[in-house]
This record gives sequence, structure tokens and C-alpha cells, in this order.
Amino acid sequence: MSKKDEFIFGFKKAIPITMGYIPMGIGYAALAIKAGLTPLQTVGFSILVYAGAGEIIAVTMLLNGATAFAIILTNFVVNLRYFVMNVCVYNKVQKTSPLLNALSCHLTTDESFAMFSLMDESSIWTYVGLSLTSWLSWILGAAIGVFVLDLLPVIVTNSFNISLYALFVAILIPNVKKNYRIGLLVIITGIMNIILQTIIGNWSIIVSTLLGALIGVYLINDAYFLTDDGGIK
Amino acid sequence: MNTADMVILGCALVTFIPRLIPSIFVGQINFSKKTEKFLDLIPYTALSALIIPGVLTVDNQLWYIGLIGAIVAAGLSWKKVPLGAIVIITVIVLITVYSLVPLF
Repeated sequence: MSKKDEFIFGFKKAIPITMGYIPMGIGYAALAIKAGLTPLQTVGFSILVYAGAGEIIAVTMLLNGATAFAIILTNFVVNLRYFVMNVCVYNKVQKTSPLLNALSCHLTTDESFAMFSLMDESSIWTYVGLSLTSWLSWILGAAIGVFVLDLLPVIVTNSFNISLYALFVAILIPNVKKNYRIGLLVIITGIMNIILQTIIGNWSIIVSTLLGALIGVYLINDAYFLTDDGGIK
Repeated sequence: MNTADMVILGCALVTFIPRLIPSIFVGQINFSKKTEKFLDLIPYTALSALIIPGVLTVDNQLWYIGLIGAIVAAGLSWKKVPLGAIVIITVIVLITVYSLVPLF
């Protein structure tokens, strides 16, 4: 495939993500405006931070009168998982350069990471097509949200909240089908996360992700799981 | 510069640096086979930790709303329905469920 074909392939893979991002972006913007952000700040936050959960937590904290320091610290903890995700993404990506990596690193989210990690294609151009499209749709969502605001009924916005979870579940299931031990690992990690949340709060997602993968190293059979090049079968 | 500006710039910085560091250095490191396997498993465990228990708080009052959505999405995915269709159908099912809730 040429660079252009790889980019377009990535663009197509982003379409399901954009269908979650645009409505979620609208929901975020409505909340941000309610928290007192100007339209420019609302859209700027989505451009500069680009972290769905982190942004929603930040504007909710602003709404509740938290200090800037507390909000920034919480964002650091909640978004630290992107460090782990980018270790995976840039370990997998091919046909790249340090410059391309640095330019695209901002575009990693739970969704672009999950989609890219679990696909066969590994070109940087596919990753750029996938993640750039997703980023633009998140910004578009915020921009629309600034204008439509309260026009959407609560039932509809609440229903949109499921869209990213639906995407996560739909990405996981085909892999669980291939190897039931992955399903077991999903449950173990989820339970660890529930327990850890009560003990270490916001750190629980990253800690249970790492602990879960560590358990997985021993739980999942090597021969089944790894191909010769170390990728996922 | 008001509080919101400080929050935006601060959050942008603390989010960008963790994203940047691995993107520059990872390509130069050769991981052992065991570490590669560990990294290959991260997508599964990260998604697990994001879904459980987060999906139960899609609606703060009705925990089962998210559970219904997750089950619908899982069922459709099991039947190999395309991702985009899964997202749309799940949202439509939830809107339907919401309109039925007042009946009970």
C-alpha cells in the first residue's frame, strides 16, 4: 500500500470512533459552557488536551469550585495511561521517524490506541489517518456543542454516553471469542479496578491495567498468543 | 488569564508530556519477548479497566442502563456486526429503554 492508501485505510477505521466522539464532544461542550468556559476555551481545551474523560472531569471540578492545582493534578493522574498506551503504539508502529512520532503522539486516546493496537496494519500513516480523523471529530463535536447547547434532551445525551463503551466492548469481544482466557483476564482486571478504586481512587485505572497485563503474561498461553514477530495472532 | 485558562494550559502540559516521552524513545529500545507480551496485553487490560466499572455510571441514577448497553454491544459484536452499526444500534436501544422506563 502507498502512504496515501495507508492513510485512507486509517481514516476509514476512524469512522466508528467519530460516531462516538461527535455526540460525546457535544455533551462535553454543554458541560464546559455550564462551568463558565467561553466557547473559545471550550474548543481550545479539546484541541490542546484531547482527553475525553480528563476534560469532562476537569470541567466538572471547575463547576464544583476546585482549585486549578487540584484539577491539573487529577488530569495528570487520569491521563497518565496515555504514557502506557504510547509505549504500545510506538512499539508497534512502522515506517516512521522520531519526528513523525513526536508530531502524532498528541493524537493517542483510548479509542485510537485500542483500534490501532488490535489491527493487523502497522504503518505510521494508518495511525495518523486514524488518530487525526478522531481528533478532528472530537473538536468538531465541541464546536457543535458550543452552539446547540441545551437543545438535546437529557435522554438523548445520556444514550450517547454509551457510544464509547459500546465501541470498547465491540473491540474486545472478537478477541475474547478467539481466546477465552482473554475474557478471564478482562474480568480479573475489571474486578481489580473496582477494588483499587476504593483504595487509590484515580490511580486505579493505570495500576489495574499494568497489574492485569502482568497477570496476563502468565495466564495467556505463549504459543497461542504470540506470532513469530511478537505481534498478536 | 483566568482560572479556566490556567486549567487548560496546565492540563495540556501534564497530558502532553506523558504522551511525548514514549513516542520519542520507544523505537530505540528492543524489548524482551516477555515484555513484548506484556505490552501486547495492555490493550485488553486497559479496555477492561475503562469499561468495568465505568459502564455502570453511564447514567448516575440507573446503573443498569450502561449494563444493558454493554450487553447489546457485546451481543452484536459476537454476531460480527460492523463497529459503526454497533455504536448506532446500541444508542438507539438505550433511547428506547429510556422511553420505556417511566412505564415501570
